[in-house]
Amino acid sequence: MAMTERDDLENLFSEARALRPEPGDDLMARILADAEAVAAERERPVRPVSAGPGWRNWLRTLGGWPAVGGLVASTVAGLWIGVAQPAALSDIAASVWGEQVSVNLGVDVDPLSLLEG
Amino acid sequence: MSHPARAMPLMDETPFASPAPLDAEGALLLAYANGDREAARELTVSLAPRVLGQATRMLSDRAEAEDVTQEVMLRLWHVAPDWRQGEARVATWLYRVTSNLCTDRLRRRRGVGLDDVAEPPDPTPSVTDRMQGEARMRALSDALAALPDRQAQAVALRHLEGLSNPEIAAIMEIGVEAVESLTARGKRALAATLRGRKEELGYGDD
Repeated sequence: MAMTERDDLENLFSEARALRPEPGDDLMARILADAEAVAAERERPVRPVSAGPGWRNWLRTLGGWPAVGGLVASTVAGLWIGVAQPAALSDIAASVWGEQVSVNLGVDVDPLSLLEG
Repeated sequence: MSHPARAMPLMDETPFASPAPLDAEGALLLAYANGDREAARELTVSLAPRVLGQATRMLSDRAEAEDVTQEVMLRLWHVAPDWRQGEARVATWLYRVTSNLCTDRLRRRRGVGLDDVAEPPDPTPSVTDRMQGEARMRALSDALAALPDRQAQAVALRHLEGLSNPEIAAIMEIGVEAVESLTARGKRALAATLRGRKEELGYGDD
């Protein structure tokens, strides 16, 4: 009895092993569609940089759009300081040098005098 | 689906898991990851039938086996960029993931109740041999569903896929002795479950 039971089980196993189902066209198409979708998703963030014009690469060198945000902010701040010359800034200058500092951009010295002697 | 806690260094001792000098499928997978669409087609043609075969033998349900095959391949597409040539073989990975997804499905079937699903669709003497064969395969699959997951996986890999114990050890990430124990216990339990179903299995006349 035990012997035939084991044989039955072995017969079942060998019958299962003999199964060789072939995937249909529909299944193959579904699998390939997945492969394409996954590949396209993976390539999406890379494509604009590699295929885009030169300024995109320049942008990438700066660090992308987040870096550009910081760049714009500091540029605007610099412009504002230059134009408005806020009082706080001259106070800081005074505290650093201990006195009022004036920078004369005019030329007092005769440039020709440098050539003399 | 992986079980890091079960990972054991024994993998390196098995020929199945040893780094193949040339794993053509691993190379194709990396080609796909680098944008080669033809590689995806080649992989599908060579791997999908294997996965479908394994899933069909375990589940004995064409629709479920096809769903599992698509899911296994989808996971393969996702892991492609991280594939490390030489560390694992695609074949080993496929057996593991397919095995896990199939026992997930068998577990759900278990909840339905073995007696409800194991009945042959038409047990009259007029059924064709093919239908009897399908009923037998379904009974085997349902008996697998009655086993604990790891026993079902080990028995299926050993007796339905015809793999060696070291190969199964690599797939299940356990030691060879653990595989021997799982297959022995699983096979005994399987025989016990199928006992008394000899008529249904078509072996009653022996």
